[in-house]
Amino acid sequence: MSYVLVVDDDEDFATATATVLRGEGHDARIELDLSAAIRSMTERVPDLVVLDVMFPEDSTGGFELARKMRRSESALKDVPILMLTAVNTRFPLGFSSKDIDEDWLPVTDFLEKPVDLDVLAARVASILANRRSARGGARE
Amino acid sequence: MSTSTDSTPRYTYQLPVAVAPSEPPLAAEGATASLQDALLVGNLLWFVRLRWVAIFALIGFGAAGLLVRGAFPPLGLRPPTGWPFLIAALLLLANLGYLGHARLIVRNPQHRGAAWNLWVQIVADLLALTVVVYFLGSLETTAPFMYLAHVVLACIFFPRWQSFVVVVVASGLYAACVIVERLEIVHTPGIYLDPLLRQAMTGHSAFPWVTASSALGIFFVVWFLASHLSSLVRQQERELAEANWRLTIAQRDKTRHMLRTTHELKAPFAAIAANAQLLLRGNCGVLPGEAAEVVRRIAARCRRLALEIQEMLQLANLRSADEQPKPLRLDLAEMVRWAIARVGAAAQERRVTVDADLAPAHVVAVEDHIKMLLTNIIANAVVYSYEGGSVRVRCHATAADGPVITIEDEGIGIPADKLPRIFDEYYRTEEAVRHNKDSTGLGLAIVRHVAASHEIRVQVESAPNRGTRFTLRFPRTG
Repeated sequence: MSYVLVVDDDEDFATATATVLRGEGHDARIELDLSAAIRSMTERVPDLVVLDVMFPEDSTGGFELARKMRRSESALKDVPILMLTAVNTRFPLGFSSKDIDEDWLPVTDFLEKPVDLDVLAARVASILANRRSARGGARE
Repeated sequence: MSTSTDSTPRYTYQLPVAVAPSEPPLAAEGATASLQDALLVGNLLWFVRLRWVAIFALIGFGAAGLLVRGAFPPLGLRPPTGWPFLIAALLLLANLGYLGHARLIVRNPQHRGAAWNLWVQIVADLLALTVVVYFLGSLETTAPFMYLAHVVLACIFFPRWQSFVVVVVASGLYAACVIVERLEIVHTPGIYLDPLLRQAMTGHSAFPWVTASSALGIFFVVWFLASHLSSLVRQQERELAEANWRLTIAQRDKTRHMLRTTHELKAPFAAIAANAQLLLRGNCGVLPGEAAEVVRRIAARCRRLALEIQEMLQLANLRSADEQPKPLRLDLAEMVRWAIARVGAAAQERRVTVDADLAPAHVVAVEDHIKMLLTNIIANAVVYSYEGGSVRVRCHATAADGPVITIEDEGIGIPADKLPRIFDEYYRTEEAVRHNKDSTGLGLAIVRHVAASHEIRVQVESAPNRGTRFTLRFPRTG
C-alpha cells in the first residue's frame, strides 16, 4: 500500500480522486490548502503527491510547492509529483511560459482536468511502480 | 472512399489560403514613440535614396557640360563648369554620413538621433540647393521652385510648426541668394546664354525684389495648403490608429476573458465528471439499472462537454497572440504517428483500421498546432467511418513541392453544397450529427486556423456515403 497525498482546493474533486485511489488499495489523504499540505508531508512523507496548480490565495501555488519540494534537503526532494490541474499544460493562462516549461517544472507527470479516472488510476500505478523499481535499483 | 473505378461523383473543396489575422503587438508604453522613431528612420532612408538620384542628376549635368558642350548653345544655355561635380561630391559625402548614422540607429534602437539626422539632411539640402539656384540664376530661371519640393516634403514628414521652420529657412536662403546675386558678391552669369534675359529681369530696380517676393509668397501659400492638408491626414491617421489599438485591446481582453471563464468552468466541471465516474465505476456501491443508465448519460455528456471545452480553449489560444509556442523543425511522419495513437481507442471502439504509409517529411512548424490539426482530421476520418471501415493515412515529401499528407476514409462523406461550410465554427452537417452525437463543430475550425497560420493548403474531396479525402500540402522548408 502506498501513501498518496492529494493537494487540491476543490474538495469535491479531491474526494473523488481520493476515493478512486483508496479503491486501488492506496492510503490517500486530502489537503485543501498549501500550508496544510506542507505540514502534512513533513509529518509523513508521501509516496506520491497529486497536486493542483491554482489555489485561492496563489494562482501558481502548485508550481511553487513543487519547486519548494525539489529544493528541499529532506526526503521530499525525491517524492514524485503528479500535477492534476485544469490549467492546460501547453497554453498558459496568465502564467509565464517558464511556469509550464516541462523541462524546468519539476513534476513527474501532468494530467489535465477533467480526467478519466481510469487514466488517473493507471498513471498513479505507473508512477508508483517506477518509484519502487528506482528505489529497488538504488538499494542493489 | 471512392476509387478511380467509382462512378459516384466526388466533390472537391479547396480551403482558401488566408493568413490568420493575428493580433498586433501590444501597445506598451513607449510603443508610439518607437513607432514614430521607426517611421522617422524610414523617412530618412527614403531621403537618402532620393538624394542618390539628385547626385546622379548633378553628375550627369556636369558630365554633359564637359562631354557635349556643343549641345547647350543651340538650346540657349551655357554649359556648366565644375560646380555640379563639386556639389555632387559634397552631397555624396554627406549622404554616406547620413546612411552610416541611420544604420547606427537601426542597430541600436535606444539611439534617438533620427529626427536630428533628418533635420541636418534638410538644412544641408537647402544650402546645396541655394548654390545650385545661384549658379543657374535665381530670378530669370524656374530653379527657385525646387525649394517647393523640400517645403512639401517637410509638410508631410514634420508637424506643422517644424515645416514652418523649413519654409522660413528656405525663404531666408533664397532671399540671401538673390541679395548675393544682386550685389554681385560672387559673380555668376547664370545658365542662360543671352545676357538680355537677366538684364530684362533686373532692368528695373524694384523688379528683382517683386519677383523674389512673389516666389517667397508662393512658398508660404504652398506651405499653408500642404501643411493644412497634411495635418488633416495625420489627424485621421492618428484617429484610425487609436481606433485600431482600442479594437486590438478589446479583442485581446475578450479572448483572455473567454479563456479565463472557460478555465474557471473547467474546475467545477471536473468535479462533476469525476463524481459521475465514481458512481459508474462502482466506487460507491452497485447502482440499480435505471440509475446506472442515468449516470451513464451524465458521464457521456461530461465527456462531450470536456471535448468541447478543450476545443474552445484550443481555438481561443490559436486566436490569441500571447505567448505562442515557437516553430521547430518537425518530422511530419512522427506527428502523424502520434495523432494515430491518440485516436487509437476511438478506432478500436468502431472497429476501424488505420493504415499508415509514412515517409519522413520535414517542416518548420509549431508542434502542438500540427498535432491538433492532424488529430482533428484523423479523428474525423475514424469517427465518420462506418463500423469496420478503414482509414488510410499517407505522408510523403515531394521534390518539387513541400510535404503532402493525405487522409482518406470510406465513411459517410459530405454533400457538395456543405463542403465550403465545414470549416466554420460550430457548423455540423445533419449527416454528421446523425452519425456522431459527440461532434462539437470546432475541430475543423481549429484545422482552418492552423492551416492559415502555417500556410498549409487544404483540399477536401468527398462523395456522400463513399468517403472523404483530405489533402494537406505543406510549404517547402528552406
